[in-house]
Amino acid sequence: MIEVGRLLRSSINGCVVGCKVSQENVPEFGSLVRIPITEQPFYQVFALVYDIHVLDDGLVRQLVTSEGVPEEVILDNRINRNVPLELSALFVGYQLEQEIYHLIPPKPPLALDAIYPCLQEDLCRFCEAGRFGYFRHILRPADLPVGELLAAHLRDVNAAQNTVGGSGWVEAATREVITLLRDDYPNLMSVLSALADARLEYSESL
Amino acid sequence: MAQSNHDQTAYIGYVVGGNLKDTLSVRLTVPPQQIQEGGFVVIESDDWQFYGLVTDLQLGATDARFADEQSENRLPAGLAKLLHGQTLFTNLQVLPALMLERGPNPHSLRYPAWRAAHPEDPTIRPVKTIPSHHAPARLAEAGDVAAIFGKPDEEGNFIIGTTREQNHPICINLKKFIQRSSGIFGATGTGKSFLTRIILAGLIQADQASILLFDMHNEYGFDDTASDTNEKVTGLWTKFRAKVRVVGLGRATMIRNKQPDFNLELAESDIMPEDIEMLTQELNLRETTPATLEALVHSFGRDHWFHRFMNLRHGAVIETADGKVVPAPDSVAAWAASSGVNIAAAEGLHSKLSRLYNRSYIVERPAADGLGAIIQSLENGQHVILSFGQFESDLDYLLVTNLLTRRIRAKWEERTNRYRSEGGNEPRPLVIAIEEAHKLLNREMAAQTAFSAIAREMRKYFVTLLIIDQRPSQIYDEVMSQLGTRISGWLGDDADIQAVLAGLAGKDALRGMLARLQPKEEVLLLGWGVPMPILVRSRRYDQAFWDELLGKGNSKSRNEGDILKELGF
Repeated sequence: MIEVGRLLRSSINGCVVGCKVSQENVPEFGSLVRIPITEQPFYQVFALVYDIHVLDDGLVRQLVTSEGVPEEVILDNRINRNVPLELSALFVGYQLEQEIYHLIPPKPPLALDAIYPCLQEDLCRFCEAGRFGYFRHILRPADLPVGELLAAHLRDVNAAQNTVGGSGWVEAATREVITLLRDDYPNLMSVLSALADARLEYSESL
Repeated sequence: MAQSNHDQTAYIGYVVGGNLKDTLSVRLTVPPQQIQEGGFVVIESDDWQFYGLVTDLQLGATDARFADEQSENRLPAGLAKLLHGQTLFTNLQVLPALMLERGPNPHSLRYPAWRAAHPEDPTIRPVKTIPSHHAPARLAEAGDVAAIFGKPDEEGNFIIGTTREQNHPICINLKKFIQRSSGIFGATGTGKSFLTRIILAGLIQADQASILLFDMHNEYGFDDTASDTNEKVTGLWTKFRAKVRVVGLGRATMIRNKQPDFNLELAESDIMPEDIEMLTQELNLRETTPATLEALVHSFGRDHWFHRFMNLRHGAVIETADGKVVPAPDSVAAWAASSGVNIAAAEGLHSKLSRLYNRSYIVERPAADGLGAIIQSLENGQHVILSFGQFESDLDYLLVTNLLTRRIRAKWEERTNRYRSEGGNEPRPLVIAIEEAHKLLNREMAAQTAFSAIAREMRKYFVTLLIIDQRPSQIYDEVMSQLGTRISGWLGDDADIQAVLAGLAGKDALRGMLARLQPKEEVLLLGWGVPMPILVRSRRYDQAFWDELLGKGNSKSRNEGDILKELGF
């Protein structure tokens, strides 16, 4: 499994990961990543990518105002940049030995810990452990694009289930989101609007 | 008692609130159209089972905006349905009535200890506590209905109808039914007469009591035709020829062009002053009437006053030898003057009583002792339907019913007192069925008629009433409070609804139900005589009813041998 980046900084709630821009497997917004921490006992942290930052440096700022920048210069500044692509990820659970928990990890990962994307099997296994407890981590922060994040995440899980097998999870997850947000009408309708735009399939005969 | 074994699909919701005084709130987990007002619901809470009636359905939302906004226009259908499933809900209001401590599952570890603490089988009793939050609720099954209302094949039980949702039979216990006066109510055209026929047929077949029915409109004895459908309606006499006597009021009276079993004439000597006082409103009598009547009795005796007064001449005068015009000796005025009664009062009473003098069924000497024959039939265990023939006025109804009932009351009192002091056979229970009961049992008449006394006291003397009426609000409160079983069809008037529910627990919750019953299809059964209020889809009064009651083949006319056999020969 090819790592996608290394940890820059973290807290118990989340982390920021640095990636090379040139990497083809840079995680997408809403995707689930994992950060193995120890082998004995086996301990890894799961996180959901909720932001991707492309920061500027001094050279890029100058090139932007220049006329007729050659293509190779642009490519060079993208591929060989000194400032990494930064991913912000929200911790949504962890695995200790064989058990998966939808709780905040007891210990955050450390600087330069490698980050890996979750395969579809990993994604299904994480989501189907417990009863959507990790949704509360997504809903808690005030500054997250909750609707977009859930829409992207549910779409990923739906695709994974269609490949790996399993059904009914998306409807159950949507039901759980509604239950958790039904006292917050504006937020709920915003989230549902995003889920509608994700074009997930829901049965009409419920 | 065995634990019920229901899969989850049988449950319709779970308890979310409520209290013992009013109703319980049950959150529905099925579409609201599956449950209707009046549904019989069972709530299971640990070792207890609660039985109740659905009295209301309420739509709700976790936030009013979910209900206000049509999110199905904004979101895909499937997503909108998920949203509605979590934010919009329906609550049932369930009026709890009975409870049963059924105990733990017999296969559980707790059962032996529980059984040791409860050696006798638990019985159903009035509700005294409430179920826990989230106790599951379901519609009553056949076993639940049978446990509460009795099994149809048990002796004394009579199927009056079925539950609306699942057609489980609902029984009334006829022995309990006749122990207190009862009432059948409903607005005009809601099927009271058919329901009365059904109940009377059940009583006649069960032979628990004799029945005297005052048939004001000649509907019950012989076959009739339904006014709305023009279909033939079987008469009680048609099906119970050996047990039922149809009596016509007046010598030559024919009932539905048929000859009744015998005719009733009243002797003038049967009419007592109190019978006339009861007619004060009908005859527009004055407040001097009681004094005048007392003077008449004093002058002519209790047995002859009516005849003698009737034969006095109104306004008759003679001229004396000295040319003065004076009242004739056989005039009303002469009698009044000699008795110290106000002449105008006496003449006024005489004039107003002319409506009675003209009645052909009031004679000096009846051809037969009709009153005695009626009482004799009832004592012998037969049933009497007194049809009024062409005498359908309120005057006839009030006079004849009250006079006859007064005699019956005296007779039954005498027999009961003799039974209690000397032993012997218990008097045969008697049910007097009266239509238009508000004419006899309203507040103004209540003190004067024999009926209110029967309603109040006569169950001690084995006589009860079966009141059939469309204006229960006009019946005296004290009489209504004495009614055991009340069976009510649709009622539109608030005062009538209140009257039917007076004195009953949960009347506020039941009020709306009476106004929404389906006429001719549904009735509400309530009162002391039934374990709990229940909405019943009433039986059809048709051949299937008679087949079930009397056995198949009863539609064929019975031969003389069958009739003699039934009479005991």
